[in-house]
Amino acid sequence: MLNPGKAVKVGIYVSEGATHHGVPVYSSILDFLFYRGVAGATVTKGIAGFGADHHMHSSSTVEIADRLPLRIEFIETREKVDVLLGKLEELAGTGLIEIQETIVAKPAQVSKPKKPIPPQHLRIEGKAQMMRIFLSEEDRWKNKPLHAALVEAMRANDIAGVTVYRGILGYGAHRRIHKDKPLMASHHGSVMLSAIDTAEKLRAFLPLVEQMVEEGLVVFSDVDIIKYAYRAADGVEQASPASS
Amino acid sequence: MKEEFRGRMLRVHFGEDDKWQGKPLHEAILAKCRELGIAEAIVFRGIEGYGPGSRIRRSGHWSFSKDAPIQLSIIDTEEQIARLIPFLDAMVEEGVVASSAVEAIRYMRP
Repeated sequence: MLNPGKAVKVGIYVSEGATHHGVPVYSSILDFLFYRGVAGATVTKGIAGFGADHHMHSSSTVEIADRLPLRIEFIETREKVDVLLGKLEELAGTGLIEIQETIVAKPAQVSKPKKPIPPQHLRIEGKAQMMRIFLSEEDRWKNKPLHAALVEAMRANDIAGVTVYRGILGYGAHRRIHKDKPLMASHHGSVMLSAIDTAEKLRAFLPLVEQMVEEGLVVFSDVDIIKYAYRAADGVEQASPASS
Repeated sequence: MKEEFRGRMLRVHFGEDDKWQGKPLHEAILAKCRELGIAEAIVFRGIEGYGPGSRIRRSGHWSFSKDAPIQLSIIDTEEQIARLIPFLDAMVEEGVVASSAVEAIRYMRP
C-alpha cells in the first residue's frame, strides 16, 4: 500500500496492436500489475504519435488505426518497482518504459490494507501446504475462464506450482450438478486447481483468490515436499512434490 | 459471503466399472453426498492406475471407455463426513478411502 511521501511513477508506451502470447500487451501488463497488488494503474490512449520506428500513427489513417500509442501509468514505491521491472521489460517488448521520481500527496483509499507479498524463492523443501480450489468451469473473471486467470495470477506471484483438473461429475458451493458429456464436449464441469507452496505464500495469495472467486471452495492441507525439481536454464519451473 | 471451517477431505478410489444397485458407483456416491447435504464432491477420471487386487485400470482413447480409475474428492466438516462414512463402508466393495484434515473457506454469492 502506498503512503504519502516519495514514490516513483512508471510510464510504459506500447502500441495498441502489440501482442504478447496472443493477448494485447497493455492487457497483459495490466493483469500483471493487478496480480502483483500494485495500488492502481491507468491506461490512456493517444490519438496520434510515433515511436522508435519513426512511423507516424494517427487515428485518421484507417489501416494503422490499431497501432495507436497507449500509455500505461502507475505509481508505486521504488522497492516494488525494482521487483516488477524485469517482468515489465519483458512484457513491454519493443516499447519504452520511463520512471520518474514523484511525491504522493495523498494515497488512494482502500477498503482494507493488503499484506506485503513475500519475496520469491526457488527452493522449497519440507513442510508446505496444498491449496485446492473448487470451481465451476464456466466461472469467468474479466472475460476469461476463472481457472485460467487464477493460474496466471499464481504465476505472477511465483507460487511454486499449480495443476488444473477437470472433473467428470460434481457439485459444489453453487449447488448445481455438473456432468461431463461424452466426447468431452462439455464446458460445464467442475474443476479443481491444486497449488503447492509454503503456508505463508499461499496465505499471502488468499486475498487475491477472495477478490476473484465469487463462488467456490478453497481447501488447505499440510504436505511434505520431498522433491522440487527446477530447470533454471529455460525458466521452466517444475514442481514434483509429494501429494497428500 | 464467506464461511471458514475446519473439516475433512476424503479421497475415494475405485474403478469406473464398479456398480451400486445397478448404477455406476461414482454416481451413486455423489447422489448420497447430495442427499446428506455434503458441501463439495467432485469425480475425477484417471488415465491409468491400479488399486487393491493389483488389477491395472486404464482408460482408452475416448472418455467413455471402460474401467478407468476413478477418484472422488469429498469435503465437509468432521460431523458431516462422519455421517457419510457408514454409507461408503457399505457401497465401496473394492477400493481405498483416504482421509486428511483440512481448513476450508467457502465463498458464496450473497
